[in-house]
Amino acid sequence: MNINFTQEQQRFRAEVRAWLADNVPAERLPSFDTAEGFELHREWEKKLAAGNWGNVNWPIEYGGRGLDLISWLIFEEEYYRADAPLRVSQNGIFLLAPTIMEFGSDEQKARFLPPMAAGDEIWAQAWSEPGAGSDMAAITSKAERDGDHYVITGQKTWSSRAVFADWCFGLFRTEAGSERHKGLSKILVPLDSHGLTRRPIAQLDGDPGFAELFFDEVRVPVANLLGPEHGGWGVAMATAGFERGLLLRSPARFQEAAARLVRLYQSHKHRLASGVGEQVVQAWMNAERFCAATYQLVARVQAGASISSESSANKLFWSEMDKHLHRTAMSIMGAQAELQEGLDAIDNGRWLDGYMFSLAGPIYAGTNEVQRNILAERVLGLPR
Amino acid sequence: MDFRYSQDQLDLIDAAANVLSGENTVERLRAFAADPTTICKSENSLWQQFAELGLFGFMAPESLGGLAQPLEVMVGVAESAGYVGLPEPLIEVAGISVPLLNELGFEDELTAVALGELSVGVISALQTYQSNAHFHDSFLVAGAGVDNLQSRSSLKLTPCNSIDPLRQLTRVELALKQNALADRANLHGAVLSAAQLLGLSRRMIDMSVEYAKERKQFGKPIGSFQAIKHHLANAYTQLEFARPMVQLAALQGGVAVHNAKIAAIDTATLIAETAIQVHGGMGYTYEVDLHLFMKRAWALSAEWGDRNYHMRKLEQYLFTDGATLGASQTFS
Ligand SMILES: Cc1cc2nc3c(=O)[nH]c(=O)nc-3n(C[C@H](O)[C@H](O)[C@H](O)COP(=O)(O)OP(=O)(O)OC[C@H]3O[C@@H](n4cnc5c(N)ncnc54)[C@H](O)[C@@H]3O)c2cc1C
Repeated sequence: MNINFTQEQQRFRAEVRAWLADNVPAERLPSFDTAEGFELHREWEKKLAAGNWGNVNWPIEYGGRGLDLISWLIFEEEYYRADAPLRVSQNGIFLLAPTIMEFGSDEQKARFLPPMAAGDEIWAQAWSEPGAGSDMAAITSKAERDGDHYVITGQKTWSSRAVFADWCFGLFRTEAGSERHKGLSKILVPLDSHGLTRRPIAQLDGDPGFAELFFDEVRVPVANLLGPEHGGWGVAMATAGFERGLLLRSPARFQEAAARLVRLYQSHKHRLASGVGEQVVQAWMNAERFCAATYQLVARVQAGASISSESSANKLFWSEMDKHLHRTAMSIMGAQAELQEGLDAIDNGRWLDGYMFSLAGPIYAGTNEVQRNILAERVLGLPR
Repeated sequence: MDFRYSQDQLDLIDAAANVLSGENTVERLRAFAADPTTICKSENSLWQQFAELGLFGFMAPESLGGLAQPLEVMVGVAESAGYVGLPEPLIEVAGISVPLLNELGFEDELTAVALGELSVGVISALQTYQSNAHFHDSFLVAGAGVDNLQSRSSLKLTPCNSIDPLRQLTRVELALKQNALADRANLHGAVLSAAQLLGLSRRMIDMSVEYAKERKQFGKPIGSFQAIKHHLANAYTQLEFARPMVQLAALQGGVAVHNAKIAAIDTATLIAETAIQVHGGMGYTYEVDLHLFMKRAWALSAEWGDRNYHMRKLEQYLFTDGATLGASQTFS
């Protein structure tokens, strides 16, 4: 075991830190769930891309630096330390990109990865349907083959930021008469396609962060099929594995939140009950444990291990940790906890926003109930 | 010893609950949420019905035409108000202002309040944020020199921004001391906000149970999955062990109040989290009604003393030599 960064890694950290210090906007950007905020976040993605900082672990030819996952973790640490804007391209770079690298053709890699890295094409995920949430195998939206096109009809929902995004990666039933996990395919669809209607759905905070997508005979070239036709379930599971297992939520996010929580606690300590300090310490400990576990996971992955069902434990851990951390912040703020931006709102309402979003953590990326079932059955081997 | 509501008390509570649930529909809440400044007492038929039912005089003495009901009965009404997410300050006016006006001898004002013509709020060191202050004509101000009634227009109120769309929030620009009147206001305020939290909690459980019966995944109602059953059974258990404590607090005051408010805060926090989880993606939207009740629960949790305030009182009480502890001291 070796827990020291190499000199090269340390140089890399210093370089990232210096670039971020010069470039991170002084003011926090407005929420990327609004039209204005989305475009400002896109501008930020472009700036990152111009400095070649958007995806340090991608191959150089697709807009990355060809570095390993340790470098990615270092980048994330510096990124959150600098309080840089949230990644509006997260669905693309963290979920779709690894899937394209694994399943895509060379043409698809060349076509889709560079504009994704550049912030020119921002991606939304279009999997859930009104009748297919936890039970994703119940998907009914269909894509019928018509020559060299698919014709897509059906409805998707809860698609994050699809109101503003450029493309979506969807899961559709390509095999007529197929059932459950069989006969599905992953298809890439421009969101401005003819026949595609987007209805914004307001989230808890009132911002239109979700879209419902209505497909009425939307035509897409067969070249937009990602992975095997009718084999979309396996492709989707790989994406979900990246999402839950590692990429979507790196430890830095929670370590920085825990650091802010400690500061919040310090400035309110005089009026807090004795047990609150312990909750704050707990939040910090959780984040440290998550960091330790993640560095070990990355070491295993770099040595060739693949992440499978245990990625569910990862997702459970970070989502429950995030909820606890923000709930603790809410209890510290007392009468100011309910305040959104404006007078007396601590940190301009950031903790309240964070608490609300933390409540979604146990729902998106596969609900925590379903993750517990997966762990119990597939990892622990309990009977179904 | 018979720690139950009497039949007469239950009848009163039911009558209030019927009026509340009859008119205060979710559609009404949504209309108000679009513009909370429209929550007013003029042309407000529900406010009139409260007056006709004698709800404003619920705790006023019989000599002034009131019903002379004790705080524990008001707790039952407050639960119903919480259950329907009532945006009007019925509980604050009838449960806090009226007893204080009576105590301070404001008889004319009491009569006007009982008729629903005048609305009086309370400002104290623990209530420097006011919800829907525009609803009230005047405020009892505790702890700023002589305790007195002040007209709303004479007070400086600065707008802030609550997450609860039914709360037009303002900050009171006054330096206030905790004094005897503020203590009494706080006793009623803490107990009645706790009671409203119980009602909100029950509502969120009911909404979640309904949803879990209807929503199907994997070919079954999600309520048939043990994970969902356990979530809701845990929520129910918390609530059932909070309610008697809140009623006891109304009867006893003292440390029971702190225990009760914390019980209600923790119950409502857990149940809001449970409810959103049971609703899945639906629960994270503004379109589904759940958020109205969830946000109100967050807001009421910090009114009349937040969790820290009440917890510190209990720590002071318990960790002092001579605290009354052990069996046989809960009831006298
Ligand atoms: C903030 C946010 C962002 C999202 N972004 C996207 C996106 O970009 N693209 C996209 O496609 N989707 C997205 N989703 C949707 C998300 O994937 C679904 O909400 C999730 O899969 C749950 O599905 P559902 O909402 O239909 O809930 P349901 O599946 O109806 O679940 C309701 C409840 O039942 C429980 N339940 C269901 N089945 C079982 C079972 N077998 N055992 C025990 N309990 C069970 C669930 O755990 C949950 O508590 C997002 C959701 C949120 C909240």
